Amino acid sequence: MRAIEPIAWAALVAAGIAVYLGGSVYAVGVAFSLCTAVALTQSWALFSALTGYVSLGAVVFYGLGAYVTVLMFGETPLLLVLAVAALAAGGFAFLIGWPVLRVRGPYFVILSFGLAELVKNLVMLNEDRLGQFSRMMFAAPDLGTLYLLMLGCAIAATLVAWLVRRGRFGDGLRAIRENEEAAETLGVPVTRLKIAAFVLSAIIPGVVGGLATLRTGYFEPSTVFDPTISLSVVTMALVGGGDDTRGPVLGALFFLLLSEVLWARLPQLYVIVLGVMLIAFVLFLPRGIAGLLPKAGGRAT
Amino acid sequence: MSLLVVDTVSKRFGGIQALDGVSLSVGAGEIVGIMGANGAGKTTLFAVIAGHEKPTSGAVRLRDRPITGLRPDRICRLGLTRTFQIVRPFAGLTVLENTLVAAHYGGRPTRDRRLAERRSLEAIERAGLADRRHQPSGTLTLSGQKRLEVARALAAGPDIIMLDEVMAGLNPTEVEDMLAMIARLRGESGITFLIIEHVMKALMHLSDRILVLHHGKEIALGTPAAIAADPHVLEVYYGGAA
Amino acid sequence: MSQLLSTQLLFAALLTGALYGLISLGLNLVYGTLRLLNVAHGDLVMIGAYTAYWAMTLAGIPPVASVFLAAALCAGLGWLAYTALFRRLLANAEIARRLESNSLLVFFGLSIIIQNVFALAFTASPRGYQYLSDVYEFAGVSTSGSRLLSFAVAAGLCAATYLFLRFNLFGLAVRGLIERPAAAEIVGIDVDRVRIVSFCAGFALAGVAGVLVSQTEQINPFMGFPFTITAFVVIILGGLGNIKAGLAASFVLGAIETYGVALTSANLRSVLIYGIFILVLLVRPQGLLGKAAR
Repeated sequence: MRAIEPIAWAALVAAGIAVYLGGSVYAVGVAFSLCTAVALTQSWALFSALTGYVSLGAVVFYGLGAYVTVLMFGETPLLLVLAVAALAAGGFAFLIGWPVLRVRGPYFVILSFGLAELVKNLVMLNEDRLGQFSRMMFAAPDLGTLYLLMLGCAIAATLVAWLVRRGRFGDGLRAIRENEEAAETLGVPVTRLKIAAFVLSAIIPGVVGGLATLRTGYFEPSTVFDPTISLSVVTMALVGGGDDTRGPVLGALFFLLLSEVLWARLPQLYVIVLGVMLIAFVLFLPRGIAGLLPKAGGRAT
Repeated sequence: MSLLVVDTVSKRFGGIQALDGVSLSVGAGEIVGIMGANGAGKTTLFAVIAGHEKPTSGAVRLRDRPITGLRPDRICRLGLTRTFQIVRPFAGLTVLENTLVAAHYGGRPTRDRRLAERRSLEAIERAGLADRRHQPSGTLTLSGQKRLEVARALAAGPDIIMLDEVMAGLNPTEVEDMLAMIARLRGESGITFLIIEHVMKALMHLSDRILVLHHGKEIALGTPAAIAADPHVLEVYYGGAA
Repeated sequence: MSQLLSTQLLFAALLTGALYGLISLGLNLVYGTLRLLNVAHGDLVMIGAYTAYWAMTLAGIPPVASVFLAAALCAGLGWLAYTALFRRLLANAEIARRLESNSLLVFFGLSIIIQNVFALAFTASPRGYQYLSDVYEFAGVSTSGSRLLSFAVAAGLCAATYLFLRFNLFGLAVRGLIERPAAAEIVGIDVDRVRIVSFCAGFALAGVAGVLVSQTEQINPFMGFPFTITAFVVIILGGLGNIKAGLAASFVLGAIETYGVALTSANLRSVLIYGIFILVLLVRPQGLLGKAAR
C-alpha cells in the first residue's frame, strides 16, 4: 500500500492535466467542480479536523474571495485579483481569529455559522447601498485558464495539508484537539497555532471563491455565501475522512458521483442525501472512508 | 538563589479565599511535598504557579524572573511544567505521539523530528512505558496514563515538574512503583519536584520538605519529621496531639 | 422620536417577544431533556405553519383550532423522535458520545433534510392565507385581529408554561431534570416519563408558534431557520436551561429587533440578529443572565 500511494497521487495530477490538454468542455467542467471541492475540503479539514474546532462557516472565506474578485475584476490582471482575494480571506481570518477562537465546542460551531450569515447579510447590505442586486462579469478568462488555476489550488491545498499533518505544526494542532489545556501546559502555544491554522484554512478558499465566480460570470451574495457550501464541505470531509490527506479527495469524488446522478434531476434530493450522509457518518463511521483504508506510512497522516 | 519562589500568593474566587498569603522557596534538586485536606488550596497553588490562574496578589519567580500571569506554554518553555490530578492524555494519539508533542514544544523547542523522537523515547523509557509506546493512550490503564503524564512532562525537558496527586487511584503495588520511579528520576536527572499527595507514606518518604496548607493558609513548612510532630498539623488532622 | 415611543411599536415589540418566548421555551425544554442543542427547532415552527395553512386551505379550519392540531402533531413527532430514535441512539455508549460531541452537526443535517423534504413535497414557493385581517384600534394601537390573537395565545401560553413549571409538582420535576439530571434520578423522579413529556411539550410549543406566525408571514420550507437563530440568541442571552431568564431575554430581543429596525431599516434585521448573536457568544458563551451551562 505504501508504494502505491505516491503513484496514485501522481496519476491523479496527471489525469488533471490530461483533462486540461484534451478534455471536452463537459469534462473540464466536471474536473473544475472536483478541484473546487478538493481545495475547499482540504483547507477546511486542515483547521477543523486537526484542531477539533468544527466550523460550519467555511463559505465565508469563499464568499469574501468572490466578492473581492467581483469588485476588482476589470482592468486588474487576473493573478493580482486572486492574490488580493487570498489576502482578503486570510486577513479576515486573522482579524476575527483571536476573539472567535476563544469560544469552544458547540458554541464555536454555532458561532462560525452565524459569522458566515452575518458577513453575507453585510455584503447584501452593501450591495443594496451601492444599488446592485447582482453583478455580471464580462470578458472573464476562459474555462481552460480558470481550470488550470483551480487545479493548482487543489494541488496546493493538498500539499499544504500534507505538510502540516506530518510536521510538528500538525502535532501541536492535534494536541489542541485532544486536550487543549494539557497541550498548553506542555509548551504548545495554543492561541498562536489556532490562529495560524485558521488563517491558513482561509487563504485558498478565498482564491477558489474568486475562480468559481469568474467561471459563472455572475455574482449574487446569497449564491456565493450559500450555507449549503459549508455543509457540503463538512460532509465531504466527514465522508472521506477528516484526519487524513486522502480523505477530502475521496469525499469530493464520492459527492461528485452523487451530484452527477442527482443534482440535475432533483437538487433537493441531493441536499437530502447530503444531510443523511452527514448524520450517518457522524454517528456510525466517524473516520470516514479513509478510516477504512490502511493508514499511510503507519503514522497519522 | 532559589529556583522557584512563591511570594505571598493569594487567590480569591468570588467569595472563596482559595489561597491566603502562601510563600515558598524551592531549591534546585529538592522534592517539596504539598499536603492538605481537600479544598486546602493545593491544586490552586499549582494552577497559579503554572500559569492557569492569575493570583489576586503576590508573585511567582522562576530563577529570579517573574512569571506571574504568563501563559502556561511560556512557563513551560522557561522550565516548569505540571501533571494533572485527573489525567489528560491526548487520548486519540499513541504514547509516543503524546510525548512527541512535549518534546517538540516544551522547554527546549525544536522542529527536528529526529531529535524530538530521541527525547520522547528517552522520556518514555524513564517512565517505564517503553513496551507500550505505540499504544493509543486512551486505552492505557490508569497506572499507564499516570506514567504517561510523567513521561510527557519529562519529554518537555523541564527543570521543575509539579506532580498533582500522581498516585491517586493506584493500587499499593503501583504506588510503590511510582514512588521508586520518582526517586530514581530525582537522583538521575536532578529535576526538582513539587508533589501534591494524599498518600501520606509517599509524601513522607520522598519529600525533603513538606508544605502543609489549610483553608488556603500555610500552617507548617519543614522536614517530614518536623511536620509529623508539629502540633498545628496534628491539631488540624487529628484534632489534637497524637 | 414620538414614533419610537408609540404604543404601536410597543405592541409590535411585545408580540415579537411573546413569539420568541414560546419558541425559546420549547428549545429550553428540549435541551433540558436531551442535553443537546436542537438546531432543527425552527423547522418545527415551519411544520406548524404548514399545518395551519393546509388546515385552512383544505378544510377551512381557522388558526384558533389548528393551534391544537399543530400542537398534537408536533407533540406526536416529538414522541416518535424520542422513542424511536433518540432513546435507542443514546443507549449505545459509543454513539451517544459521538452524538453529544457532534450534536450540532447531526441536528443541522436533520434540519436540512426536513426543509428539503418539505420543499420536495410542497415546492419552495411561498404560501399564505388571510385570517382575521380586520383592523382593530385600541389605546393608540391599530393592528389586525390575527396579531391580537397571536399575542393573546403566545403570551398566555408563555405565562401558563412558566407558572406550571414554577408551581406544579410535575413542572418542578421538569425543572429538576433540566438543572441536574443526575440528581433528578436519585430523588426518585421518573426521568424517562419527564423526559418524554418535556420533549413533546417543547415540540408542541414550537408548532403552536408556527401556527401563530403563519397568519401574518409567508410560509415556505426554509422559513424556520431565522427562528432557530433567534431562539439560540435568546438561549445564549438567558443561559441554557434557565426558563425565567429565557423569557426575559425573549422580550429584550423582541424589543431590540423591533426598535432597532424602526431606527434603521428593515434590511438591517438580519444583521442585527446575527450581530447580537455573535457579540453575545464572543463575550459570554454561557449566557449573560444565566449560570454556566453544565
